[in-house]
Amino acid sequence: MSRIGRLWNSLATPKRIPRFYSVILGVLLLVGFIVPLALNDQQLYPRPEPQLQVNQQDPFAPYDRGGVPLKEPGIIKSQYPHFSEKAGMVTSYVSPIGIGVSKTTLYYGTSIYSSPGGLIDEILYYSRGFDTVLESSILMMAFVVASWVALHFTMKRREEE
Amino acid sequence: MDITILGQQLLGYIPLGDIVLYLAPLNLFMFASTLAFTTIIAISKTETQVEAGFGTLKDREVKVDKSEFKIRRFLAIVCGLATAGAMITGDLFNFTLFVCLIGIVNIGIVAAVKQVDVLDAAFQYGLVAMIATLPLFGGAAMILASTGTISLLEIVDLPTTFMMVFGSLLLFIGVAGETGVAPFYATKAEMFRTPGSPFLLIIHLSSLLVIVRVIEILLIINKPF
Repeated sequence: MSRIGRLWNSLATPKRIPRFYSVILGVLLLVGFIVPLALNDQQLYPRPEPQLQVNQQDPFAPYDRGGVPLKEPGIIKSQYPHFSEKAGMVTSYVSPIGIGVSKTTLYYGTSIYSSPGGLIDEILYYSRGFDTVLESSILMMAFVVASWVALHFTMKRREEE
Repeated sequence: MDITILGQQLLGYIPLGDIVLYLAPLNLFMFASTLAFTTIIAISKTETQVEAGFGTLKDREVKVDKSEFKIRRFLAIVCGLATAGAMITGDLFNFTLFVCLIGIVNIGIVAAVKQVDVLDAAFQYGLVAMIATLPLFGGAAMILASTGTISLLEIVDLPTTFMMVFGSLLLFIGVAGETGVAPFYATKAEMFRTPGSPFLLIIHLSSLLVIVRVIEILLIINKPF
């Protein structure tokens, strides 16, 4: 009985919480090794064969979705096609600088894909503009907090004392 | 396209491209109550704590100065809006993003205080919240991989596989870390020991409502009944 009391007391110390949380998470992730994989590839964004675009010497190699901006939709699959009729119309847009760079190198697509955002876009490629708004607002809040702390706890501290 | 859980009726849905919000009585009630509470917070002032001094008859007031008040009010409103969004969204990935936003704003609300103990607790909470983003987004990605969709209206029609159960377990432990529920509560309990009451309460309210909502989402994904 006293042992369980000691356990509760140790859980009341804020310093131990991250370690405790990490241990639980680690155990759960170890369980993940024995979970049978069940992939549903029917609804995901359609992809060509892995090395097909590379062998075709395409500068956008693993990332080329085809299509002409505002004229012809690229290869995307949306969840609710009747709600997003214009989906894919701007998929293939590349800025003029991007077009210039893609003419000089064969690895332009690889550089897009190697950024973390590229991978996430690849997985979640739907007509999902709201995600971008939310992601950047998370980033903005982090900057608001960090800059407020930096301004008031480091730069203005001298004046108060 | 029907989603009936806990005996609810689907009142309608709002299509935003592929992100479709569905309106059910539980979600609408939580959405409206969060918005009402956020409005009350936006127009209220902070409390002033009084600390009794030992050996003297003097009391010491712990006040919140104006710049701190402003940043806290702003972050509390953002936290309320994020909670309201998490209540009504019908999309798993948007839900995880809203929870992540709540976590980061919660740290910000207490980051402005001057008590060292509270800042220490907030630092530990920040560590947990950062670790929790891994299972949070990992769980959502795992559910996406095993079902091929992250729209709850589609997931409700698909049969549950074991990988979906594991993904929802990861999602739940991620939300538990971000909101700081039962076994990880110590960090949040220490964070409340600072003046500025109505703004601190939104931290509490957001975690309670998000837990209710994540249980609804887990019931939708796993379909135990």
